[in-house]
Amino acid sequence: MQIYTNYGIYENAVREGNVMGQEKVIEIKNLTKMYGNYVGVKNLSLTVYKEEIMGFLGPNGAGKTTTIRSCLALIAKTAGEITIFGLDSHKDAVAIRKNTGYLPGDFGLIPSVKVRSYLEYLLSLHGCDSTKKMMSLAQRLQLDLDRKTNELSKGNKLKVGIVQALMTDEDLIILDEPSGLDPLMQQEFYRILRGEKKHGKTVFMSSHNLSEVESVCDRVAIIRQGQLVVVEDIQMLQEKTGKVLEVEFTDPFNIDEFRFEGVSSIRQDNGRLVLTIHENLDSVIKAVSNHRILNMNLKTYSLEQLFLKYYAEEEVDQGDDE
Amino acid sequence: MFGRMVYMELRTGWKGLLIFGLLILMVSAGIPMIFPTYRDSLIEQLEGANKVDLELPDEQGGMITLSWEPLEAATSYMVLEDNRSSMVTAKLIYIGNETSITFEKDFEEKRYYAVMAVLDETSDQVLIGIATTEKGGDPFQELLKNPAYAGFTGGRNISMLEVNGFVALEYYGWSWMLTGLFIAYVSVSVIASDFENKRMDVMFSTPISRRRYLLEKFAAMGVIALFIVLVETAGLTWGLASIDALNEFSANAVLLSLIGCLPFLMVIAAVGVLTAVFSQKVRTGMGVTFAFVFAEFFLFTFGGFSKNLEWAKSISIFKYWDYLSVIIDDLFKAGDFILLTMLAIVILIIGMWIFEKKDIPT
Repeated sequence: MQIYTNYGIYENAVREGNVMGQEKVIEIKNLTKMYGNYVGVKNLSLTVYKEEIMGFLGPNGAGKTTTIRSCLALIAKTAGEITIFGLDSHKDAVAIRKNTGYLPGDFGLIPSVKVRSYLEYLLSLHGCDSTKKMMSLAQRLQLDLDRKTNELSKGNKLKVGIVQALMTDEDLIILDEPSGLDPLMQQEFYRILRGEKKHGKTVFMSSHNLSEVESVCDRVAIIRQGQLVVVEDIQMLQEKTGKVLEVEFTDPFNIDEFRFEGVSSIRQDNGRLVLTIHENLDSVIKAVSNHRILNMNLKTYSLEQLFLKYYAEEEVDQGDDE
Repeated sequence: MFGRMVYMELRTGWKGLLIFGLLILMVSAGIPMIFPTYRDSLIEQLEGANKVDLELPDEQGGMITLSWEPLEAATSYMVLEDNRSSMVTAKLIYIGNETSITFEKDFEEKRYYAVMAVLDETSDQVLIGIATTEKGGDPFQELLKNPAYAGFTGGRNISMLEVNGFVALEYYGWSWMLTGLFIAYVSVSVIASDFENKRMDVMFSTPISRRRYLLEKFAAMGVIALFIVLVETAGLTWGLASIDALNEFSANAVLLSLIGCLPFLMVIAAVGVLTAVFSQKVRTGMGVTFAFVFAEFFLFTFGGFSKNLEWAKSISIFKYWDYLSVIIDDLFKAGDFILLTMLAIVILIIGMWIFEKKDIPT
């Protein structure tokens, strides 16, 4: 079953979106991090611009966390250069952290204190006295500040992590896999992130949750086996991947009726028509309207499928090389 | 704002500290309190020396007469002879019912005689007393000069009949070990547990440098060490006051001896910090730091056994924490104090240097 045709989705894959000329917040140049003989990240270059939400997508062990922790000087880089706000990530680490909020992928809390005390403690380490934002974030995420840190569920612990990353009102927010909240809360969290962006903040977030990146990010960088695969505008990426139209008719139909330019695949599935459309949506809908429609569904192609597709191709390529 | 982390450390760790503090308080107050009872029993034991009478002949080859006070419950008596006061190589020279024996002096060196009574009902043996052929000799005092014993006393003549001698040996002799191990435990765990519980990432997303992090943790250790020292001082003062012995034991000496141990404890804390940043694991760090404390102690003790082993002593930090000098000789060794302080700082700086280089594991 061929869903995609060769639309050159990954042509010139590693290139920047339409953001040139904007102020650079994070600039990673040829970052390499080795753990002994194991490659964490290899020759990775990436730029995050001001006031954007940049998604950083990849499967587990692809090097997302390594990249993020290199940015924060938690680990030493083997080679390459990282500047954040124009400062050297390692030499000026403390200065950078004054203006950066960070949610680690995995973190522990100081046990046996109230969430409020814990967050106030972190605020004081940041040299920030205002608890206003902390309170409002906790309220929005429905986090009980009077609970003890060692009595929190996984979701609540994540909320504490999110609040601590955002509460100091920093210009750069780095989030390492901030998913795991219940769906309602997750939506609220995305609203918070969009709000941050509106206030001039820059967000760099890693994820293996593709719908998350789709719903909140402006651009996405995809990483695999320590190497950057593509940097793309979410919208453009979605256009390239196309939309899927599923229609159920009451009467029989001929699939040839729906062959238009820009329709990359047509198939019949249990009496339903399934199309992948990149262009000419108007003509397709008009052709569909010639029939009596029982049910119809138009959805954006999930990045997940794109992702899997891309990897499948890579695997084949590698297989050929060997 | 330096001190926030110190505060947090104390706030989260106060329970453990309180429990240890109470233990230390009870021990440091309790030891002086049992002194009168101990002294009385020791005096009784020492008086035993007078229950045994030894008459020496005027010339070599004459007869020695050894006599002792009879014991009612005794069925027979035993006399042991040795050339050491410790009686570890003693040989039996008499068993019988007499309370006096006479034998030829066919030796030149010192000899010691221990007279034991064998009790009928229990067949236990009770020491009646010890006598020596040396004129004016006091076997019990000589026992204290035994090399194995002198390793602890630094060769000083310490009287267990006096409260400061008793406290010096029975309290200071081991309380450092307890305190030192506690400091080792805390200093390793305050850092290594941040690694193990993945708290480092959040910590180092705040504008706190790694150097400052270690400095604050070390400062927290300083506060904890000071707290323990103050509890020890309070306990000893309380204990001494309760037996009306405060004026026999200079309060100044107590305080100085305890303050004097701070650099010693801080060296242990610095080693704890160093191993914690190096191993990043509580267990490994603790093992290494404990091994360090024990190794240093054994170096010091073995170094005291013989002149040829002096070198071992000089590389032990215990040599530079001479509490006996303060308590017994009333002499505070400022040079040693500075030396240990410098050592603690150097170890801490090495720890900082390593921490700056190392990756924080996920």
